[in-house]
Amino acid sequence: MSSRQISGILLGIVGILVLAIGGLSAILLFQGNEQQTTTAAVNQNVSSIEKIDPAGRELRLPGGEPVTLDPHLTTDAVSGAYIVEIYSGLVTMNAELEIVPDLAESIEISSDGLVYIFSLREDAKFHDGRGVTAEDVVWSIQRAASPELRSTVTLEYLKDIVGVREYYYGLKSELAGVVALDTRTIQITIDSPKPYFLAKLTYPSAFIVDRSQIESNRNWVRSPNATGPYKLAEWNLGESIVLEASEHHYLGLPSVHRAIYTLAGGSALTRFENDELDVAYISINDIDRARDPSSSLYKYYQATASMSLSYIAFNVTQAPFDDVHVRRAMAMAIDRQTIAEVTFNGMTLPATGILPPGVFGYTEVDKTLPYDPEAARAEFSKSKYTSSNMPPIVYTETGGGASAGLDTQAFIEQWRQVLGLEIEVRQADWASFLDLIDSNSAQMWGIGWSMDYPDPENILDIKLHGESRENNTLFSSPPINELLESARTNFSISKRITQYQEAESLLIEAAPWIPLWFGSNHVVVSENIEYWFEPPMTLPRLQHIKLRD
Amino acid sequence: MLQYTIRRISVLPLLLLVITFSTFCLTRWGPGDPISVIAGQVRDPEVLAQIREAEGLNDPIYVQYIRWLGDASRGDFGESYIRRGFTTWEVISPRLWVTGQLGLAALLIIFPIGIFAGGLGARFRGSWLDPTITLSLLFAAALPGILVVAVLQWLFAVQLSLLPVGGWGGWIDIYWIAGIVAVPIPDPHIYIPLIAYTLGGFVGVARLVRATVLEVNRTDYVRTARAKGLSEGVVQRRHVLRNSLLPLVTVVAFSLAGIIEGSIIAETLLGIPGIGSFLFQAIGSRDYNAIQALTVIYSATFIIMNLVADLAYSLVDPRIQVGDT
Repeated sequence: MSSRQISGILLGIVGILVLAIGGLSAILLFQGNEQQTTTAAVNQNVSSIEKIDPAGRELRLPGGEPVTLDPHLTTDAVSGAYIVEIYSGLVTMNAELEIVPDLAESIEISSDGLVYIFSLREDAKFHDGRGVTAEDVVWSIQRAASPELRSTVTLEYLKDIVGVREYYYGLKSELAGVVALDTRTIQITIDSPKPYFLAKLTYPSAFIVDRSQIESNRNWVRSPNATGPYKLAEWNLGESIVLEASEHHYLGLPSVHRAIYTLAGGSALTRFENDELDVAYISINDIDRARDPSSSLYKYYQATASMSLSYIAFNVTQAPFDDVHVRRAMAMAIDRQTIAEVTFNGMTLPATGILPPGVFGYTEVDKTLPYDPEAARAEFSKSKYTSSNMPPIVYTETGGGASAGLDTQAFIEQWRQVLGLEIEVRQADWASFLDLIDSNSAQMWGIGWSMDYPDPENILDIKLHGESRENNTLFSSPPINELLESARTNFSISKRITQYQEAESLLIEAAPWIPLWFGSNHVVVSENIEYWFEPPMTLPRLQHIKLRD
Repeated sequence: MLQYTIRRISVLPLLLLVITFSTFCLTRWGPGDPISVIAGQVRDPEVLAQIREAEGLNDPIYVQYIRWLGDASRGDFGESYIRRGFTTWEVISPRLWVTGQLGLAALLIIFPIGIFAGGLGARFRGSWLDPTITLSLLFAAALPGILVVAVLQWLFAVQLSLLPVGGWGGWIDIYWIAGIVAVPIPDPHIYIPLIAYTLGGFVGVARLVRATVLEVNRTDYVRTARAKGLSEGVVQRRHVLRNSLLPLVTVVAFSLAGIIEGSIIAETLLGIPGIGSFLFQAIGSRDYNAIQALTVIYSATFIIMNLVADLAYSLVDPRIQVGDT
């Protein structure tokens, strides 16, 4: 071949490559354009609604990419934060964490505590303006519990309703416990009187969806027609989510008309300082700046408590944690107060018990086993394990394997110094971690729990009742189980509180868990915002936020 | 040649089969599964077992694989487990475009600069400049990507506050001057990833160009051109450089494949919504469907680029007879 031929062929190849790459880009670009057109169409719809001000009344905040915006499938807090704005149910929780009617205007409970009758508000409407009917509610709960949907959470939140379990497992084709009495009245029957049942109905499992939309549009979840205060205006995968106030919501238009969540990674604080975001969460790296009165961030900084607990859990069937003295000694050997102040720079609150602030039954008094090296050693000497028969101990936590969590490192050191225990830390990614816990092969592990509703049942009964499937410690104590069971159906609030507090203190003594920290949020809020609402758990929050005029 | 090409293309499906089946087994044999991750902390073992059964995750692995293969061959990669309500392809395609944009932009920088550096090295062979260029480009290539990203973030974003720490804003932003003149300016998010992606690429291009320029300079036709009395500039531009650039075609394919493979760490560190960072997330959450789809994309890219490179070699240099091997 002559060099001329070669160059000809080469030019041909280059040409083909360019065409291929160009063609691919064009296709992708064209797709991108299509997306933009749909967005533009959405925007046009919006501007045709006079009441919403598309330019102002905007809140720009950081957000995470949701796993799903289907309320009946969601299990994670990131998705939940959007879902509670877009959807709603019969009841909700207000800013004070009280359970209040939402789409229902009145709720009647039968004297035996088994039958709930909900009357829908006349102005309960979907985003498209259609009125909510009792049939919508019945169909939504049926959908949530249907075997075809394969939701992992429905049973946990709705299993108290008569027939949900049978329906979920496909044993019955009808859901007996949820009935429409007329177009605006729904009757829900539960299996035994439960004072926390309404609280469970505030969870997205019981939210209302639009049957006609779901049955006609496979991709309905990208633009759901729902009943919440905000509608999903845009969802750009990996980039942003835009919520827009629903003009049909019975509460009327809130102060925030549009909420723009930026999903891209990077430092939210940098973007806040650049005036690209109205809110940013502060990490331990920046907390000194936020607290320093001479810093520009200081006047924007707020800290609030969140209703969550981090703890260490023991598998009480595995040596050496089958011995209560070992568990108690380890709890007494760690100095959480100092770790909170020094290691966490005062950003975490040492837990005072198992029930976090906001849950009823919580008290400020420290009920945990106190840090006391002498007492810890004395407790340890009572155990059947000595240095000669002590099995190897592995502490499991989530992480990428680079270095152990800040608090873990401190605990390991203190257990070595106070008790002479050599504990190995094993880090696992989230999926492997869950696998280790599920298969009961972890000895001890660090994890947290965020409350779904402010009732002690949501943590004590679910996580620590001996019969609960969610109790991975395998700890079971008959007197504690009895207390928890009796509290389930006790309608006297003061007696329930006493029962739960008693169960809590017995649990602390028996130490299947070492409570570590209560959650807290550290946030900077810009001057555009007159009132910022940082909910202690996943709640509809945008309607409470006030923008400055 | 044609026979060889056909043979190479025909083994492509076989290679893909082996790769996707290995990934399929590895993800399923490893700890954890998508149902467990989806369930989060509300985990009733009985419920999870029921869902695994319904999703077919309890079937023998070859049954699951054949089912996947059947769907995949029809272009159906299933629904993503961590972006429910979206098909895997819908989640991946906008991200593929982001990774592709970055890769193309990186190539557009690597080649002109690499060619210039290589030409300069050849021109000044024997002087201090030649080894200096090669050594500094080698040094740049030897820097680990993680370190480069971290240092650039610290310097330009944290210390100097000139660039964003991470994220993605597209290729260019259009600024309007007085509402009439459009000025395209690279989006600030693109600088750090571009530096990280290109640093390793210059040296290969520069050394190849340097070597071929020196070789071409010794050829008869260049000597003839000089003998005709053409000025050195014309000789270099018209005869030497043009002929030296041909072998570069072989490197383009490799560079692009390398950049796409390298995107996993850089995109994760920089929060760029490309396929690299998504693969990282997908593995972390055991999103079987997304892992499989990305495996196909990554391995197909690599195999095809290899093929293109091999074919290009034989076209550039007829002495390499790929078909004979």
